Amino acid sequence: MENLKLRKITSFWILIVLILFVVAIVLGILMRLNQGEILHQSPITFYSNMTTHGLTMIGIWFVAGMAAVNYLLQRYVKTSYVANMTALILTIIGVLMLWTSTFIGQFHAGWTFLYPLPFKVMWAAWATPLFLFSLVVLGLGWLIWSISLMTQIFRKYSFSQAFAWQHFSKNPCVETPPFILITMITLVGIIACLIAAVILLVMLFAEYFSQGTFVNDALLMKNLTYFFGHTIANEMLYLGLAVIYELFAEVSGRPKWKTTWYVAVAWNLSLIFILTAFFHHLYMDFVQPEGLQLVGQIASYLASLPAAGVTVFSILVAVYNTKIKWSLTNLLFFIGVGGWVVGGLGAVIDATISNNFLLHNTLWVPAHFHTYNAMGNVLFSLAFFHWFANQYQQQPTQEKSSRLPIILLLIGGIGFLLAFYIGGADSIPRRYSTYPAEFTHAKTLATTAAVFASFYLVAILIFFYNISKKCIQIMSSSASHS
Amino acid sequence: MYPNHVFLCIALLILIGSPTAYSSPTSDTWKEETDIYQPVYDAPLCTSRQPSTIDLSARMHLKPSILALIFTRCTGVCNPLILELQENLKRNPAQRDHQVIVVSFDPRDTSEDMYRYAQRFDLADDPLWTFATTDSIIPLLSSLSFDPSWDPQRQQYDHDALLVGLNTEGIITKKLIGLRSAQDLSSLISSIHNIYAPTYRMPNPNMLFSCFNYDSKTGKNTPGLGLLFIALPALLTVAILLGLHYYTRSSRH
Repeated sequence: MENLKLRKITSFWILIVLILFVVAIVLGILMRLNQGEILHQSPITFYSNMTTHGLTMIGIWFVAGMAAVNYLLQRYVKTSYVANMTALILTIIGVLMLWTSTFIGQFHAGWTFLYPLPFKVMWAAWATPLFLFSLVVLGLGWLIWSISLMTQIFRKYSFSQAFAWQHFSKNPCVETPPFILITMITLVGIIACLIAAVILLVMLFAEYFSQGTFVNDALLMKNLTYFFGHTIANEMLYLGLAVIYELFAEVSGRPKWKTTWYVAVAWNLSLIFILTAFFHHLYMDFVQPEGLQLVGQIASYLASLPAAGVTVFSILVAVYNTKIKWSLTNLLFFIGVGGWVVGGLGAVIDATISNNFLLHNTLWVPAHFHTYNAMGNVLFSLAFFHWFANQYQQQPTQEKSSRLPIILLLIGGIGFLLAFYIGGADSIPRRYSTYPAEFTHAKTLATTAAVFASFYLVAILIFFYNISKKCIQIMSSSASHS
Repeated sequence: MYPNHVFLCIALLILIGSPTAYSSPTSDTWKEETDIYQPVYDAPLCTSRQPSTIDLSARMHLKPSILALIFTRCTGVCNPLILELQENLKRNPAQRDHQVIVVSFDPRDTSEDMYRYAQRFDLADDPLWTFATTDSIIPLLSSLSFDPSWDPQRQQYDHDALLVGLNTEGIITKKLIGLRSAQDLSSLISSIHNIYAPTYRMPNPNMLFSCFNYDSKTGKNTPGLGLLFIALPALLTVAILLGLHYYTRSSRH
């Protein structure tokens, strides 16, 4: 019965994520068409869409990772259904509040809502508090969920076991599965960044309700914004990696991956680096001490080494010269790791201070984060969705029918991302609703990107159809079928 | 160091002896941020050199410019302003890729007056310096929000010492009001070359949690309370971790 409830709520999460994903992609395509001057949106509509697109994407791929981790964690520890349901309800309420503030209230300060933009009201006056309250609701739900999962891990594993510290020495007496280690490391990062969001929101509310008697420091607010924003965007990738560590070997018909000393060391180091890499968002803030800028660059380099190095090594060892049982699930995982690595390299290039002088706020920035999301994290979650939806099917899916969406996904994704990379290398700025004539290639690139993104959208719609009908079946199934 | 001291002594002597030095500026507050990134009015300039008339825009297109507004009969701040600018520019010989345009805002001044004024500073033949008058001074001053007022009793203009940075497109990139340090001038020069010029926020008693507190006297930042807030999420997370570990100890056993 417990399993059935978890299965149903996971199906519901998947349905919500896929529906919101389709809407967010459409908003993205509309923005690129506007930049290509195929469509003519008002700047307010463009920036409202940009705000909705960014926050929705961050939110849905975070909850997708959490839902997957919650589902798989049940293999090791008992998880809380109440916490899962609370997060689901608060997420739905939060998204409705967020969309009301952007679509109706026309709040358009961007997904990072950098201080003091939320207070420069160029939209309905109520939209600012509603937007901020929507973040409170979302953050509260996710914080409860994260703390609940961490509590359940601690009920079985001691502090050192949860972080796999016993693997630092030879012949550990207890084995911590890689899935538990990565989930634990990721949850710590998630809780830290959600607390940063809480502090940020408290400060914003303090200024909002103080009638001018309390003013925030822009540098502090920017630091907190990126502590939250950068970290959550990276941690949701790590949730996907936890799923890969758990499922890749299993669906490939290979022995399950074990935690070794270098896996344990790599992931423990990742925790430190990922929490300090956000300083690279403040390279242009001259008042930030040089030491912190250097920490930002060094942590950005080092953050990519342990997690990426160990994961890529493990994946390559698993598939090299080995008979693999390829399925859509492990193929999506495999391509996703490729996308994650390419996006990560793009990120490291941008996080290098000397390069950042050229690439800062150009299309290079959306290029790299769309790469490791659209062609990385999204594929990790789609792989889980596909695996999850199919494991309760009476008849196995015809894997050959999956070729078309994969091909469309690759063509659409690569074409869409190339337009961003070329634009970034050409110093075309990001976040422009329309481009001045000086940026001669910008409009063509934007239109091209919209065309390729449409292929990507078609691929997602095919996945959506295939996965959602199975999820609906799971949701409508009774205990007797479980 | 020697020219620095000589200059300071001269500037102080002139300022102490000048009645305008004690007068309050024409505006209630110095607003250096007004008109930034706005185009300057394209006034026709008259000089004693050939060509004798040239538009300001044509002059600006040649090189990034520092625009100084003076009048030749000034007994106050105009002389120290030009003297300080000359000294500061001399001290940075590497920074020669720009020009200085000195325009009189007094309709009584002629090209010859400006030439003689330039001679006083030994700048009449310096190709980097242009001393000019204009018949369109009102729109030029208006585009700079510079508002000298005539004091008939003293027969002097009451005005601020103003330097304006202009890039080659005639856009105002930075303003400096008053006699300013070489560091400030260097920042203005960076801005006219379209290089980012940092600015510092003004102190605000309602800002309780600043990451750094800027001391305008020393020009240094000292760590503030806000820095603790950046570390707070990590500290609270550790506290939560330890708390959860303690809370779950019975079920683990």
